[in-house]
Amino acid sequence: MREIFTMWKDTRMIILVALTAAIYGAFLIVFKGGIPIVPGVTEVRPANVFPPVFGLLFGPAGAWGAAIGNTVGDIFGGTLDQGSILGAIGNFFLAFVPYKMWGATFGLVPKNDISPMTNTLRKLIAFEIVALTGSAACAIIIAWYADSIGMVPFAFLSITITVNNFAAACVVGPILLSLLYPRVKRWGLLWTDIMSVEDVAPGKAKSLGSILMIVGALGGLVFGTMVALGAAGQTIYGFDGEQGNWTLFVVMIPFLALLVIAGLMLSGREQFTDEAE
Amino acid sequence: MSGDFYIDNNSFMHRLDARTKMALAFLTVVAILMFEHPVWLMPITCLSLLQLYIAGAFRNLRRIRFILIMMSLSSMILWNFFSNGVTPLWWKFEVESFLFAVNRTLLIVLVISSGMVLISTTRNEELVLGLIKIGLPYRVGFALSTALRLLPTIGSSIITISQAQRSRGLDLHVKNPLERLRRFLPLLVPVFISTIRNTNTFAMALESKGFGARDKRSYYLKMEMKRADYLVLGFALVFVAVSIVLRLKGIGQIPGLTRF
Repeated sequence: MREIFTMWKDTRMIILVALTAAIYGAFLIVFKGGIPIVPGVTEVRPANVFPPVFGLLFGPAGAWGAAIGNTVGDIFGGTLDQGSILGAIGNFFLAFVPYKMWGATFGLVPKNDISPMTNTLRKLIAFEIVALTGSAACAIIIAWYADSIGMVPFAFLSITITVNNFAAACVVGPILLSLLYPRVKRWGLLWTDIMSVEDVAPGKAKSLGSILMIVGALGGLVFGTMVALGAAGQTIYGFDGEQGNWTLFVVMIPFLALLVIAGLMLSGREQFTDEAE
Repeated sequence: MSGDFYIDNNSFMHRLDARTKMALAFLTVVAILMFEHPVWLMPITCLSLLQLYIAGAFRNLRRIRFILIMMSLSSMILWNFFSNGVTPLWWKFEVESFLFAVNRTLLIVLVISSGMVLISTTRNEELVLGLIKIGLPYRVGFALSTALRLLPTIGSSIITISQAQRSRGLDLHVKNPLERLRRFLPLLVPVFISTIRNTNTFAMALESKGFGARDKRSYYLKMEMKRADYLVLGFALVFVAVSIVLRLKGIGQIPGLTRF
């Protein structure tokens, strides 16, 4: 995770944080008046295609941009409340997970063609895996917190956010990435072109890190939903049941910890081989 | 939706320190969240209207009226369905759910208003310096303030590009959600490219002026908390403290309301 701090040394990365935050925030605001799912909490968000794409293209700058952009969207979209802090962290992970996992997707992305493009079926599958994992990671962070403060039940919110995040990313994401990557590469704005390899965390046991990230995100989503349905009596497509359930709160902590541990194990350095092309 | 939201004026709100205005926006949101019953939001509503009037920021709210109207309408309709009460009002709606819908709608409008007062009365550089003075690293403060400043520009680009694409026959109102998502691509790509392409020039401009040369930097702008700032902050803190006490005593809630 070293790079999420060291990136602030570079002016271009700082500008990319600002620009990605502004783009994400602007599109979020445009669609705030669209189709609300829970007014004041969330709505159909086509703009959620951006964080995974930003993450893959701009690395840590994309992750910070997603976090700040979501906050900006909350401020000007009228949804700023006690959930906004975890909303920012959740959106950070929505972009953070894809770039950290991209080079450790169990061989789907070959080392000699590691560019964040979806030009082969294997890389398309890798994109869908990282986007789904990021979507679920974002969802469990926000839903865990929202449930614990009695805002929205976990079972409903975690599934809604995952679907909301992933729907946009899985359809439009690969096309958007293919359209944007060549331009961003030509302008020398890929995060691997801007940052030096020493500023990126070396990571340890990256494949295991990927597995732990998937277990933390998707396992947390499935297990947390089961606990919410069972122990808290919640329903998937409704607002019934108990919120702030202690068992659910405690059970989710190891999964959330796994997201951080996996983030520490994964690197991103392997993507720097692209420079030699 | 074009240009900057900052209104060049010398009102009382303009003269307040950026830190005071940020704290005021934050404390307003905290106070709003303490109440369920819309009647108890009336004091905050009056204070927000007063701030908007003093700042002359109503014109900026008018610029985003479409979003405000759409959000208010959807909030009024959906919160009536998402919450339940015990006193029948009309059809499937209860008095309690209606009151809660009014509360949530007011919340949305007031939160937007408090943010609008802040950016209508605070220059970008004041906002950055205010954030830095309260402990945010200046690079992070710069990123945040640049994002805020670029919002109207990008919003304007989205509208211009969507109009251009529609004039070429792009229909964004198809019913199939997947098809609708796909058709947003001609909108996303130009906005993204037109925004990102100047990154290098932007970076060079900043670095030529010494941005990032040292960990600590000096500022041309001097900020100083004056008596008026302390008075406004003191009033806001007392207001929020009273709101919290009322909340803890269960005042300002809607009896019989079942929210999800």
